Amino acid sequence: MEKKIVMPKLRPEMKSGILCAWLKEEGEDVKAGEPLYEVETDKVVNQIEASESGVLEKQLYEEGDEVKALDPVAVIRM
Amino acid sequence: MEKKPEWLKVRYNQEAVNEVAELMKGLKLNTVCKEANCPNLGECYLKHTATFMLLGSICTRNCRFCNVPHGKPLPPDPEEPRHVAEAAKKMGLRHVVLTCATRDDLTDGGAEHFAKTIRAIREVSPGTTIETLISDMKLNTDALDVVMEARPEVLNHNVETVKELQKEVRPSAAYERSLDVLRYCKKKDPSVLTKTGFMVGLGETEEQIDRLLDDILETGCDILTIGQYLQPSKEHIPLARYASPEDFARYKEIALAKGFRHVASAPLARSSYKAWEALEDVHDLY
Repeated sequence: MEKKIVMPKLRPEMKSGILCAWLKEEGEDVKAGEPLYEVETDKVVNQIEASESGVLEKQLYEEGDEVKALDPVAVIRM
Repeated sequence: MEKKPEWLKVRYNQEAVNEVAELMKGLKLNTVCKEANCPNLGECYLKHTATFMLLGSICTRNCRFCNVPHGKPLPPDPEEPRHVAEAAKKMGLRHVVLTCATRDDLTDGGAEHFAKTIRAIREVSPGTTIETLISDMKLNTDALDVVMEARPEVLNHNVETVKELQKEVRPSAAYERSLDVLRYCKKKDPSVLTKTGFMVGLGETEEQIDRLLDDILETGCDILTIGQYLQPSKEHIPLARYASPEDFARYKEIALAKGFRHVASAPLARSSYKAWEALEDVHDLY
């Protein structure tokens, strides 16, 4: 089963976020709660934790890309 | 945007954030965590802690460092004290921090609303300790008396920055007035711990920080928090520098040597971050 991981709305008015780094490679095992990628906001760099355990099947964006809030950024195969 | 230093990385767990956010929404409550866009929101919500923001999320002042929106606030919600108490009980909070946007439009600055909320929490959750993070209430001593007579364990009021930068950073507040709030509350009831905090990274000098520490200590203040100023947006007062974790460790050492009983000094330290630990630490000294 596949699960899409979405760009969180880190604050109510957030329209999009810069995915500044991937912390897992495609094909790598991911445990729920482990940081998966980083999003920079005005104040800090947020390490977004994976909500599911599985294998990171696909990174849908590259580092530096701007991603709309709530758009899928990765696919995890469980 | 200037590149963020390594020490400004925080963890974010969407499920944990949703859980607390939904509870707050259901009870029509605000948190300063969300309104101030606090960098620790993810961590605190994951641990099921939050700082309640009473009296709405609109502030009558317009401080240049703060993310809370300025405007005309709504009248106080009479159900709010009960809702806060209910949420604190549901979340199993051992320590509750209550704050508010500055309400210069209310004669008592919101003091009675604080007192009602303290009493409501005591009723449903008598073991929970309470910290009130108040505005200066224009140094209205009748209003401060109302809060103090409700006997929170900790009375917190932030000076925010050094004397020299007050006008630029928070034009509607005043350095001496904030110190007087701390001084008055300590004198009113010395058994209530007083607490304050300030930011670094706004352009202050080491000498100015040193004088600030002396001025705060002179009020009888027990607990101090020192954190990094993080610019909420391009419209806010510009960031002058990122202080390093070593700088924060040095400030802590200096403050403790001067006589503060507890000092939380770290890039992401905030007035209510890990507030329970500060209280526990000071109580252990009794």
